Amino acid sequence: MKRLIATLVACMLISACTTTHTQVMANPVKPAAGARILVVDPDIQLGLLTASGMTEPKADWTEQARANIAAQLESEMKARAHAYRLLDPDDAMGGRSGQLMRLHGAVSASIQGYGYALPTKKGAFDWTLGEGAQALGAAQSADYALFVRGVGSYASGGRVATAVGMAMLGVSVPLGSQQCFVTLVDLKTGRVVWANFTIAGPNADMRETAGASALVKALLKDAPL
Amino acid sequence: MRNALRAVLPALAVLSLAACATITPAPAGPLKVGSGANVTLGRQWSDISLVMPGRHKKVRVLSIDGPLLNRLYLTDGLAPGDYLIKPLAKERPTPLVRADMSATERMEFVTDSISAMDYQRVTLAKPRPAKLGEASGVRFDVSAQTAEGLEIKGVAAVAETGGKIYVILYLAPAEHYFAATLPEAEAVMASARVG
Amino acid sequence: MRGSRLALIAAAAALAVLPQAAQAQRAAGLRPDSTSLEGGIWGSADKAEAAARTKADVNHDPALNAYVRGVTCKVAADHCPDLRVYVLDRPAFNALVAPNGYVEVWSGLMLRSTDEAEFAYVLGHEFSHFAQNHTLVAYNAAKSRANVALAAKVAIAVVGVAAASGATTASEAQSIMDATGNLIDVVYLAEIAAFFRFSREQEAEADLLGQKRAAIAGYDARSAAQSWRSVMAETQASDFKRVRESRSRTSVFESHPLEAERIAALDKQAPSLPASSDRGRERYRAAIRPHLSAWLRDDLRRRDFGQTLHLIDRLAAGGEDLGVLNYYRGEAYRLRRGDGDLGRARDAYLAAAAQPDTPLAAWRELGDIRKRDGDAAGARAAYETYLAKAPQAEDAWLVQDSLTSLDKGS
Repeated sequence: MKRLIATLVACMLISACTTTHTQVMANPVKPAAGARILVVDPDIQLGLLTASGMTEPKADWTEQARANIAAQLESEMKARAHAYRLLDPDDAMGGRSGQLMRLHGAVSASIQGYGYALPTKKGAFDWTLGEGAQALGAAQSADYALFVRGVGSYASGGRVATAVGMAMLGVSVPLGSQQCFVTLVDLKTGRVVWANFTIAGPNADMRETAGASALVKALLKDAPL
Repeated sequence: MRNALRAVLPALAVLSLAACATITPAPAGPLKVGSGANVTLGRQWSDISLVMPGRHKKVRVLSIDGPLLNRLYLTDGLAPGDYLIKPLAKERPTPLVRADMSATERMEFVTDSISAMDYQRVTLAKPRPAKLGEASGVRFDVSAQTAEGLEIKGVAAVAETGGKIYVILYLAPAEHYFAATLPEAEAVMASARVG
Repeated sequence: MRGSRLALIAAAAALAVLPQAAQAQRAAGLRPDSTSLEGGIWGSADKAEAAARTKADVNHDPALNAYVRGVTCKVAADHCPDLRVYVLDRPAFNALVAPNGYVEVWSGLMLRSTDEAEFAYVLGHEFSHFAQNHTLVAYNAAKSRANVALAAKVAIAVVGVAAASGATTASEAQSIMDATGNLIDVVYLAEIAAFFRFSREQEAEADLLGQKRAAIAGYDARSAAQSWRSVMAETQASDFKRVRESRSRTSVFESHPLEAERIAALDKQAPSLPASSDRGRERYRAAIRPHLSAWLRDDLRRRDFGQTLHLIDRLAAGGEDLGVLNYYRGEAYRLRRGDGDLGRARDAYLAAAAQPDTPLAAWRELGDIRKRDGDAAGARAAYETYLAKAPQAEDAWLVQDSLTSLDKGS
């Protein structure tokens, strides 16, 4: 019986390895060495998925993951010889910059929600923030903006126990998952150069330095940076 | 709990609709909207009508980059009792066409319908005489914001003929998207034949 | 965009969530440990607050914000420095004090409070949920209820999104996003919004503590019960049977209809509190007057005209602002278009036209109704008055067209 449970748990974990899904515009121009990259403070929200199915927000995990991801992004940018600056989006929601920030929200939601469904977007990754992106670039003294958003939940011990019990009854219970969505915007042209959607596996726990590092590496794997 | 169920049904409907790829191409060229309206598209659009909540069968919704970035509403003749956007609950009504609407009320029908689509601070400006085919009506500019504060601009044409109302409405974020597709939207309006 | 939506959900949860028993009043100026559940809830509320600041419907009028903050601080007393107050132009009767001290006051509440004393009482009620830390108990209660819903988690998450966004329209395109690729994004408290309500005991406690706080701040304690009586009366005035039968659905107490016993409890406690006859009616009206017109326009968007008309009757009871109020009375009847409503709309526009504070559109609408009625001379007079008073109006040409068609018809 114990072995059966162990096998079930292992199966559930195996099914959750880090996967990435990259979309990139045709012939992206790589930022030159020394390009100023504005990293919009990663919006990370983590919670504990409890046995009952409710997710409890965890402020300490959220803060830890945010700091880890920001630090890893910084070292990745430096390794690529880019100038790095972190922007707290709450400080940029006024005026035209604020409109660009909101437009980016709409564009990235559209990439995620409609990227494949729209006949008008078939075969072309041509998303843009338009000419106004220059205003954001000027206001923030940056050439590119990298937006990172992550959400996730981690199953509690009770949740795992429930999942095992339910699995024996043939019912699948989600054990929590973590995902990140990242877009790179050329602030001269407004074009979304590249977007990547990553579902993190259990070895990419962003609450830990090593996990955050693995996650950020996976996130930026095919980035034209 | 019954309330929760009532609330979830439309959402589940959206879920299942969106899941089975019901977005279709609307190629450049003539497009029939129901039996009473025709327009000519100057480029390819995507027909997202079936994935829009509160859809009325006489209303087509086209988009290029998805409904958050541009949408073009085209209607067949709306008779008294018809909607631009249908209510999801009886207690949450949306504007409906009346038999004896004034010209002002026809514009109000459009702007109040935009509010019912969850846009905020919807305002109307510069009403001017316009024609949809042979039917005379009004064209006007719209400004609004999404709940998140993204500024939206729009232009609408509404005309009445034969006891029915025809609407063409174009909405997009003021930043980049509105201007990018405005010439095409205006050409579609100019191409309309109704009644 | 997504982040702010999640944050909004958290805010709604925070509203629904708050207190513990009366023994555990929170001290001012404290922040919970970030590893605790309360810390997590505060974190959510922080995000909700950041999102709320950037919303389209935030009211930025400095005078109004200063006024609302002033009244909030009177009832919150030494907690005042812990609170950040935002006024939102939303037509429902609602206010919340989130666990992190972020306060939302909706215009629908301000429009429905007869005076400062009633307004202060509702703020006192909400603040008491905060001060008593009602959130945690409600959260844990919701957690045990959620077991039932394990299998339906996805469905509940979607309900949560709809409920939390206050979306009567299932939130147009955005809901597609929520329903498709991003379901797991509804981590956080989304589910909770559908389940999360204060218990009846918590509401009763907040009632009495809120009344006490308002009284200690110098307000007439009798206004507390009056506030709920008005809510109940307006609910009864709804155009919709389901709303009338649900009694207090327009209020924040959706899941717990206002019972007569709650009003009785407030009436019973009132004589034991410091006596005062201060209701602050005039200063309250002066504070909301600049926004009356816009807020009534917002209220019409709910399209429950019976309720709006009831509200206008209450606002008009003191004989003030009759131009604006009669104009919107006319608008409500015109939009409702039930039997005899156009006649009532005409009479209301006429009453408005006799007042100095009338929106000019009253004459245009009067003209349109008279034209429909076949009263060509009356219509002409109304249209001409409109054009004389508003020669620069953008729609002057439309009214001129109507005049011309009258001439052709006669």
